[in-house]
Amino acid sequence: MALAEQLRQARLRPARRTLADRGDLLGRIMLAPALAYVLLLAGVPFVLAIMLSFSSATAGGLEFHWVGLHNFAEILPDPLFHRAIINTILITVVSQIAVMVLATVTALVLDAGIRGMRVFRFLLLLPWAVPVSLAALAWVWMFDSTFSVINWTLRALGLLHGWLYWFGDTTLALTAIIVVDVWRMFPFATVIVLAGLTSIPQDIREAALVDGAGFWRRVFQIEFPLIVPIASVAVLFGIAFTATDLTTVYLLTNGGPYNSTQVLSTLAFQRGILGGDLGQGAAIALFLLPVLALATIILLRFARRTEIGS
Amino acid sequence: MGYVEIRDLHKTFAEVHAVDGVDLSIEEGEFLVLLGPSGCGKTTLMRMIAGLETPTSGEIVIGGEPMDEDIPPRSRDIAMVFQSYALYPHKTAFSNIAFPLEAAHKTRSEIIERVQATAAMFGIAHLLQRYPRQLSGGERQRVALARAVVRNPGVFLFDEPLSNLDARQRTTARVELKQLQRKLGTTIIYVTHDQVEAMGLGDRVAVMNHGRVLQIGTPRDVYDDPADTFVATFLGSPPMNLVELNEATWLGFRPERFLPRASFVAAADVAAFRFLVRHVEYLGSDRLVYGRLDGESADEKDVIATVPVTVDQPIAAGETYDFAVDRRALRYFDRRSGSSSSDGTG
Amino acid sequence: MQGIESVHLTRSTFLKGAGAAGAAATTFSVPAIVRAQAKSLRIITWSHFVPAYDAWFDPFAKAWGRSKGIDVVVDHISYADLVPRATSEVAAGQGHDLAFFLSPPAAFEPHVLDLSDLAKETERRYGPMVPLVRSSTYNSFTKKAYGFSAEWTIDPGDYLKDAWTKVGKPGGPVTWEDLLTYGLQIKKSDPSIQIPIGIGMSQDIDSNMAMRALLWSYGGAVQDAQERVTLDSDETVKAVEFGATLFQQVINPAVLSWNAASNNQAFNARQTSYILNSISAYRTAQDKKLPVAENTFFVPALKGPTGIGIASEHVMGIWVVWKFAKNPDAAKEFLLHLCDNYREACMASKLYNTPSFMGTCAAPGTPLAQKAAAGQRWVAAQFQRDPFGSAPADKLAVLATAEKWSTNIGHPGPANPAIGEIFDTFVIPDMFAKAATKQLTPKESVKQSTARVNAIFAKWRKAGLVGG
Repeated sequence: MALAEQLRQARLRPARRTLADRGDLLGRIMLAPALAYVLLLAGVPFVLAIMLSFSSATAGGLEFHWVGLHNFAEILPDPLFHRAIINTILITVVSQIAVMVLATVTALVLDAGIRGMRVFRFLLLLPWAVPVSLAALAWVWMFDSTFSVINWTLRALGLLHGWLYWFGDTTLALTAIIVVDVWRMFPFATVIVLAGLTSIPQDIREAALVDGAGFWRRVFQIEFPLIVPIASVAVLFGIAFTATDLTTVYLLTNGGPYNSTQVLSTLAFQRGILGGDLGQGAAIALFLLPVLALATIILLRFARRTEIGS
Repeated sequence: MGYVEIRDLHKTFAEVHAVDGVDLSIEEGEFLVLLGPSGCGKTTLMRMIAGLETPTSGEIVIGGEPMDEDIPPRSRDIAMVFQSYALYPHKTAFSNIAFPLEAAHKTRSEIIERVQATAAMFGIAHLLQRYPRQLSGGERQRVALARAVVRNPGVFLFDEPLSNLDARQRTTARVELKQLQRKLGTTIIYVTHDQVEAMGLGDRVAVMNHGRVLQIGTPRDVYDDPADTFVATFLGSPPMNLVELNEATWLGFRPERFLPRASFVAAADVAAFRFLVRHVEYLGSDRLVYGRLDGESADEKDVIATVPVTVDQPIAAGETYDFAVDRRALRYFDRRSGSSSSDGTG
Repeated sequence: MQGIESVHLTRSTFLKGAGAAGAAATTFSVPAIVRAQAKSLRIITWSHFVPAYDAWFDPFAKAWGRSKGIDVVVDHISYADLVPRATSEVAAGQGHDLAFFLSPPAAFEPHVLDLSDLAKETERRYGPMVPLVRSSTYNSFTKKAYGFSAEWTIDPGDYLKDAWTKVGKPGGPVTWEDLLTYGLQIKKSDPSIQIPIGIGMSQDIDSNMAMRALLWSYGGAVQDAQERVTLDSDETVKAVEFGATLFQQVINPAVLSWNAASNNQAFNARQTSYILNSISAYRTAQDKKLPVAENTFFVPALKGPTGIGIASEHVMGIWVVWKFAKNPDAAKEFLLHLCDNYREACMASKLYNTPSFMGTCAAPGTPLAQKAAAGQRWVAAQFQRDPFGSAPADKLAVLATAEKWSTNIGHPGPANPAIGEIFDTFVIPDMFAKAATKQLTPKESVKQSTARVNAIFAKWRKAGLVGG
């Protein structure tokens, strides 16, 4: 009785519509911090960079003396700039291919179900969580030209007779950069691919089993296509992350030997910040933009197309 | 010896006996329904037959071949239709149906021919270029069936294939499934918790609970002569009425057998009851009459009578009427074990 | 140098009895402090290679602040972060009042205060500035002192005595040619030394210094005294050719990736027999009691075929006061106070720091006219009898003559923004490395680098900061 009475009274005094009931407004409010973040920390510097690339600004001075395309005209014929473009693309493409292959294999192994999977997943993510500057220090030592742990190990195993000057040789230095980039990115990609694999409904896998598909057919015809949309997110992230990354190259080789491992970001840093030519630095950095935009569009379209089928 | 033989099969998941000693013999061409509430072990049993689960102990023989655990699903000559249909979302209907044939390394021309023939059989030939997402529920179900049928396997395993359809589609699909089985003559093992499907489709129905098969028989057998109180109350809607006969025995009778005394001929051999009506539900074709038998205590569960529209005697709540059951329709169950006994004296 | 006017003499005499340091500071800028709005001074500087220096500097700055009622904040960052940090502070228009650099921050000229008055006052107190310091802090084209230096660091050669003795050169190399000749012998006689000669050709500050020294000793230079580009010369090509030979014979590719710490590490691990570095590596070895410390000896700048033997200073410590500084007067006053106590600073840095005004190391009370010479003698005396436990005690004696064989990075011209950018983007080490690794012929490499150098000069001339 008392309950019925309470209910009746509650009906008489309906609660006001609260903020939580107003999906549209609530959505906007909750989105606002993210939007502010993007605008302030990405949008403003981005606009600033575009303006700087058309100016003769130097050494931190933000006064804009319009010089038109002068900065771009300066960098276009520069052999160092060409080298940086090639390196950026090379490092990004090679490391992303390696990352995706490794990540997929690891994810398949993990997905096959092993004991202590959670612990392993956690351990796997560690390289990604380690501050890159710390990790790079360790890697610098491993690849050190004089004290390389890798060389000593290879020698002890009798696999190396000469000496590898990891950062003293362009090819080796690029290899080292790629190795570290792969090491950094592959745990993240593995977790994403693993999430993709886990999200494949169990009965679809079982249907393939019952339908008579062997291991490779299941991997290539069922699992791969189904993780493409989510894996392309990993690739997209990896590309953007690697192509714009300054730290790996800066800490490992600082662009050396003789500027042969410069990527666009390190060259922009060297020219714009260390060299004091902000305008040119901005022009170099901005060169990545259309390339990345294009890669993003292609990948997103690709991911979308596969999604329509699913 | 049946086409599919299951002997003393057990499956234990971490202390839980999902399947607890099942013996079954399924004839070639038979449509066997595994019926039971969720968690009764019917799906696990089917998955073990498919090779998707490894039995803890026991034996499965298909077509005379013992299915040891190292025989993978693809080598068991079975096809399975999943509750969700498990269509490959990135493949067209055609590629979905073709997939088992490709896996079996059939030639391209044979694949095309067989896919088209099967699609025609299910009336989905015009849908072959669509992706699963572009198909309705019923269409998807047909694609799933076609994918199973196209291989021409020795046994079909159906895991609640109709549960994602609406009521109307389900009725049609039931009829089509029965026709399909007649046409193909393939052994079918069909899992469901829906007794209407079970009764309508099965040549035989195996009623399961707690990992055991409680009763196996034709739909009529299990409905009319339930082996125990579980089968008696699981089948039928509303379920069989169970009333206390004496200290040792339940008396059971189906609601539709419990009718006003006046609807029986005077000379009929009936058991008569005074029926205190508490409330009446009008369902169109029937009236469901809830009440208790005279002499029963008030806190007992209601006894239910399903009175068909053909009986037009007025029945009102609060009144007491003379009701009766044909004595041949009375069933007796041991109160301790729940199993059926021949009569109230046993 | 600057004429020493009688008025200065008088004032100097007056200061004699007054407890030089505190009083000097007071006479110079008490009015300035009174006018100052903010009661704080924010300083940003590097983490000194000799950590003992920071342990002295921070309390020193704070104590001065307390005596003036100014809250002094000292922030230390890695040497590699000095320029990026400064760039961002300039862009933001705020940050520290006083910023420190290790090489001439000429590019920041438009954003800093002219410190000519401060230099003048210091000279008035202590006598002339060391010439290479002036070329590193003063833009003669714009007539602006964009920085103020209290100290610089000598860049001698460090060699392993035993290794060089074994090949019959116990006194160490004298010429660049010696590096080749004896380097080859060391390579043969001591295979445990991975890199006989440890001269870097990488994108780091030490390589920058070393390659300039090599370039100058062959008569080459990036610019002349009038800031005209002179890089593309036969002398430069000869220097690059020699660098390539040196690299191929007695150096190895490890040096292409060296950072500022690498030659120290290699040397202290006995992996190389000669490096060009300040005495910080030696001090580290001493602190850690490494066996190499006893075995480390020093030589002055190596001579080239021209007979010229000059080295770039290892570090040119330069302070700037930003235009946005909230308390510029306090900043200047603090720098004066630092100069007033430079003996202490030299000792705190274990002789890593050499005064930019020799007079700041003269004994208090020395007449102004004699201060520079007296300071010079005091510094030389320290080097000749190292108070920090060298054996033999005169091990550092060659550093006493360093002013003669040291110069600024823009030699023979001044350091300017163009020189700064060339320095900071490692154009010169790259020129050598590309030839050394046969990526380009010496001629091509010089041509390519000259193109880059010309572009940089053109840009800064357009900005009105470089003459020529």
